[in-house]
Amino acid sequence: MMQIIVQGLLLSGLYALIAMGFMLIFSIGRTLNLAYGAYIMVGGYIYFWLSQQLGMPKIVGFAGAVMVGALMGFLKHRLIVKPLKGDAVAVEISTLILAIIMQSVMVLVFGDASKILLPIIPGVVTVAGAQLTYNILAATVMSWIIIAALYAFVRGTHTGRAMQAVSMDEKGAAISGVDPDKINMITWAISGALGAAGGVFFASYTQLSPQMWVAPVIISIAIVIVGGIGSIIGTLIVAHIIGFLEVSIVALWAPELRGVFTMLLIIGVLVMRPQGLFGREEH
Amino acid sequence: MRTLDLRPHHLVLWAAFIALMLLMPQMVGNGTLRTMIFACYLAMFAISWDILSGRTGYLSFGHPFLIGIGAYTTGILTRRYGIPVEASIPIAVLVTMAGGLIILLPALRIKGSYFALVTLAVMELMLQLVPVIRPDLTGGTRGISRLPALTRGAENGYYLAAGLMLAVALFAWLLMRTRLGTALWAIGMNEESVRGSGLSTTRLKSFAFLVSAGIAGLAGAFYAHYLGSITPRSFFDINILFQIIVAVLIGGAGTIIGPIIGAFFMVFLLEWLRPYMPGTERFFVYGSIALVLYMYQPKGIMAIVETIVSKMKGSRA
Repeated sequence: MMQIIVQGLLLSGLYALIAMGFMLIFSIGRTLNLAYGAYIMVGGYIYFWLSQQLGMPKIVGFAGAVMVGALMGFLKHRLIVKPLKGDAVAVEISTLILAIIMQSVMVLVFGDASKILLPIIPGVVTVAGAQLTYNILAATVMSWIIIAALYAFVRGTHTGRAMQAVSMDEKGAAISGVDPDKINMITWAISGALGAAGGVFFASYTQLSPQMWVAPVIISIAIVIVGGIGSIIGTLIVAHIIGFLEVSIVALWAPELRGVFTMLLIIGVLVMRPQGLFGREEH
Repeated sequence: MRTLDLRPHHLVLWAAFIALMLLMPQMVGNGTLRTMIFACYLAMFAISWDILSGRTGYLSFGHPFLIGIGAYTTGILTRRYGIPVEASIPIAVLVTMAGGLIILLPALRIKGSYFALVTLAVMELMLQLVPVIRPDLTGGTRGISRLPALTRGAENGYYLAAGLMLAVALFAWLLMRTRLGTALWAIGMNEESVRGSGLSTTRLKSFAFLVSAGIAGLAGAFYAHYLGSITPRSFFDINILFQIIVAVLIGGAGTIIGPIIGAFFMVFLLEWLRPYMPGTERFFVYGSIALVLYMYQPKGIMAIVETIVSKMKGSRA
């Protein structure tokens, strides 16, 4: 039982981090950014390349991954989202194409075989009878630090509040002297950085493979929609629901059914309550 | 059939198209024919996707789900129960139509990105579910192999694929020229106003989903027999979805010939690139061309051709 609680907390923290970056974009543009999966994948691979193939310090690998993620988000906004001028369907389709392109780039550079990341911090610790690797513990702690920082940023700084304003009403924000274009750009870059950071942890939790992006992207989209658009707290709660659900299924029933129930939950909630569990009413 | 508004030039164009498709084996080698077989199946998938998503605007990210149901149904029936293909393929079509009703349910309540996400989740669900539920039937992750072949040799395979594709295209074309087709189109434009005009959008949507699923199931089942083996990864995969959507969009959504052109263009592009780049870089170039084309003209090749034609007409006048 303790094992489930501890493991559930750890996995949920990871999911929450991945979902946060997606949430930022979705609350601003209402677009299903499928290329978010590409940030996750590229983040994991850049870390692998810098820290394991080039043998640089892990912190450099992590910083590199985050920077590349931010750059990808920035470029994506400049080159694809802006020219399409808010056509949601076109953005969704082009992000799907982009995600597939990035997948083939990763296969091209790193090969098709999946790779195991060395633990970020090696070693095992026993918490309440549960065996935990320091690696996952570190990933979770880092996730929480990043989430807390994000929360402080969005709530506390001028830029963060401007982001909220743009997500609620872009025209209104513009009238109040906020440059929505600049805010959008910043949001895309932050989202890319968060995705890449989440990707490093996610890859160290599972493994690196060119197909690794599909499941986390569905999970993060679902967490955001189920949690309610633009709600950091809702995102956190649903990340925990899904995290605990998966861990319980693996521990109590059958490991191979882990993804099945997540998908069923997503489908069920979306059909029953499209506005999410904690979101404001839309449509 | 007054509402169909058939004109002589339609018949001439269709006859020319059918003749061209059926004469292909006389003009090209077996290798090219095999490429064309794949293009024909992709074109059918694309037409199926276009009927649902291109017309009604309900973006389906779960189409591989429908195609996979068709393929798996006929695979399981023929290999595990020894049912002849004459019976298994019609059953597969019916089962896939039932599957279409499953994704219809969410479409009655939600749309846009939400609907796309639900269909994507359904596809991912199948990818995870198929290997673990009754592996004795589905063959687990290794899938089902040695499906009975319907034809021998590239030429016969081509006639079957091309014939199916032409039949599906003609059917879809005729259907879209009826008032029903117009109504589906109108749903994509403005669903509320269609409902306001006194039409049952639920009934219209059910119809579109059933037709789309039926075509997907038919094409999926025949494709499975052509391939001879099926695995969860080869059907419930985002890359398949990518190829279908790109084929529709590059060709031109909301038309019949568009998805066919798109499918042939993308499949042959992949083939032409093969000698220059044998590895994965091909998919990179292929994806990039798709993205650039899409960004340049989201309405696809059909729209580009129309612009050129109207410009030429304009300069003559």
